[in-house]
Amino acid sequence: MLNKNRVLVAMSGGVDSSVAITKLNEMGYETIGITLKLWETIDPVTKLRKNSHCNSTEAINGAKMICDRLGVHHYTIDEINSFKKYVVDDFTNEYLKGRTPNPCVKCNSYVKWGKLIEQANKFDAYYIATGHYARIDHKKLSIKKGVDTNKDQSYMLWHISKEHIERTLLPIGELKKDEVRKYATEKSLETSDIPDSQDLCFVMDGDYRNFLNKFMPEKMENIDGGDIKSEDGTVIGKHTGFTNYTIGQRRGLGLSKPEPRYVKKINPISNTITVAKKDSMFSNVCTASQINWLLKPQSFPFKATTKIRYNSLGTSALINEHEGSYTIHFDEPQLAITPGQSIVFYDDDTLLGGGIINGNHE
Amino acid sequence: MKMIYCDSAATTPLNENVIVEMNKISSTVFGNPSSIHKFGQESRAIIERSRLKIANLLGCDLSEIIFTGCGTESNNIAMLGLLSKNDHLITTSYEHPAVLKTANELELKGVEVTYIKPDQNGIINCNEIKGAIKENTKLVSVMHVNNELGTENSIEEISQITNDMGVLFHTDAVQSIGKKNISLRNTKIDLLSLSAHKFYGPKGVGALYMRNGVNLIPTYFGGGQEKDLRPGTENISYIHGMAIALELAVKDCEAWHKKLSKFESLFLNNLKNENIKYTVNGKNLIGGILNITFHDILSQDLVIALDMKGYAISGGSACSSGSVKTSTTLQQIKMDKNLAQRTVRISFGKNLNEDDIDGLSKAITSIINKSTFNAK
Repeated sequence: MLNKNRVLVAMSGGVDSSVAITKLNEMGYETIGITLKLWETIDPVTKLRKNSHCNSTEAINGAKMICDRLGVHHYTIDEINSFKKYVVDDFTNEYLKGRTPNPCVKCNSYVKWGKLIEQANKFDAYYIATGHYARIDHKKLSIKKGVDTNKDQSYMLWHISKEHIERTLLPIGELKKDEVRKYATEKSLETSDIPDSQDLCFVMDGDYRNFLNKFMPEKMENIDGGDIKSEDGTVIGKHTGFTNYTIGQRRGLGLSKPEPRYVKKINPISNTITVAKKDSMFSNVCTASQINWLLKPQSFPFKATTKIRYNSLGTSALINEHEGSYTIHFDEPQLAITPGQSIVFYDDDTLLGGGIINGNHE
Repeated sequence: MKMIYCDSAATTPLNENVIVEMNKISSTVFGNPSSIHKFGQESRAIIERSRLKIANLLGCDLSEIIFTGCGTESNNIAMLGLLSKNDHLITTSYEHPAVLKTANELELKGVEVTYIKPDQNGIINCNEIKGAIKENTKLVSVMHVNNELGTENSIEEISQITNDMGVLFHTDAVQSIGKKNISLRNTKIDLLSLSAHKFYGPKGVGALYMRNGVNLIPTYFGGGQEKDLRPGTENISYIHGMAIALELAVKDCEAWHKKLSKFESLFLNNLKNENIKYTVNGKNLIGGILNITFHDILSQDLVIALDMKGYAISGGSACSSGSVKTSTTLQQIKMDKNLAQRTVRISFGKNLNEDDIDGLSKAITSIINKSTFNAK
């Protein structure tokens, strides 16, 4: 029997996880801080090994300061190999298929939750905790949106298993971001002023194209320029390699059309990019796979609020299941439905489940 | 005999609160900050809190502070880590040897160096720096406050020039940090060296501010501490002491400067009233450092006579192998050799009170009037 009073807290060294562990400590849990070392790069100038943003030396040291003030242990655990296997390799493979992945989704389920639960077992801790803006419904074993709708991170959590959810505490899901900062300031937490992280933590300069070139130069060398076509198949321009484009992209296409064109399809096999006018970028339907249900509907078709990207409010859609494959019909046409992105289903603020939007050989 | 210390520009005594704080750490905390266990975690937390404190006091990010062994080491790490063959360095001819000799060493390695001279008031003309920048210029290094004269250079203006021209700027701020408050965020300074013992902190610890985005090649090699730039197990209590000392200095800055100007006017008025012939050298003075020429006595005689009377000041010129050599700095401001040999540096610190200042001026008066240095 694992110790139900002991919690392993994932600490990025930022204000959210600092407040999370401090809150849990206040609540009487025995906490242990863990920073997962996920990625490092070689500095081009000094040739020195550098940690990536999310596990920078400052982040690890920040976590250590917080744990020291609480009088609890902090450890840094190397998970670079699993991060590469589950997150970075998936990320690069998806781009090679002309798809646009959400690496945070895989990182959460496989690495943050998966590896942290493994560690929790070793530490004889029943619970793990993170500083995500989301809430856990321990009765239904599901996830709810964070109270701060602007910060809600539930979209990135759909791939976590129910067994892991049962063992999860999300102490700041009930708070708004400014409340988190205020709490941190009131408690004089050393990390109270650290700015929020924005970019993908392993893409150091924020440019995923540079990352792909550096990470797999031999594969990227084979990606040549090709044709940009209009929807009727007419060649109207040249692209610089399909990995440089994402669905819905408007800028940098090098087209001189009076009306803007958007990337509608990326075809790695024919090495073509299809562009279209905005009104042709809307669609009522898509299919999805790799579905993970936290609360599986009793029957299909089933109506749910559906998000096709992180920064969207969600829209009503009808979900159909047929022999394990899913088709989603939106009430309102959706702009730039992007293969590889997560599609996430909600009942009000309860996360029901999610999957990955099909397209490009899925 | 009670000794009165009037040489704060050389070094300062440890602040009593700093001693208490350092002793607390020294006697209870010993873990290697890089260790995984809780002993290490405790040490790490003390170092990182010190880093955060110093960063907040200097107006920069904690990732921009690198702990070093002293100001000299900070200067070396910055300059040697940045410049290589065929690069061009612009510095000044009256830098502290920690910069000047490093520049000389870089010249031997094929770095081109331009030495800008200060004007007669001991100030570097910003336009001369600007005029010296050329295509291969990689770094400009200008001291903030000159250690012998106490004159302050406009590092805000120079760093704006270097930034506009795509050149990095380093400043040896060892004489100014702790005496003058600075917000690095509001400047274009890329690298800054500081040393704890100049602001009532311990000797043997300093820091280098390195703006995020500046990359230095390591010049030491080891366990990777301090971003690989200053590897070696950190001196926990000294780093802690430096942070406390800087905090106290910054808090006290305004009040201290008020007190200082009182000290200085008291001192100079006393001399004037006694008809002592003197000249205060340099303009744009930071306060607390008086480079002063006493026309009627050789500096070496005055320094020794004052020491015999219980007052510690510094000679403006250094005695080497029996012959009195004029200080480089005084040569650089084109001071007459005869006057340079009559020039001393008096620097007032927080250990002093008005009676001490009074006593010092009386001692100087009596020495000069008697032209002898008999002990009292």
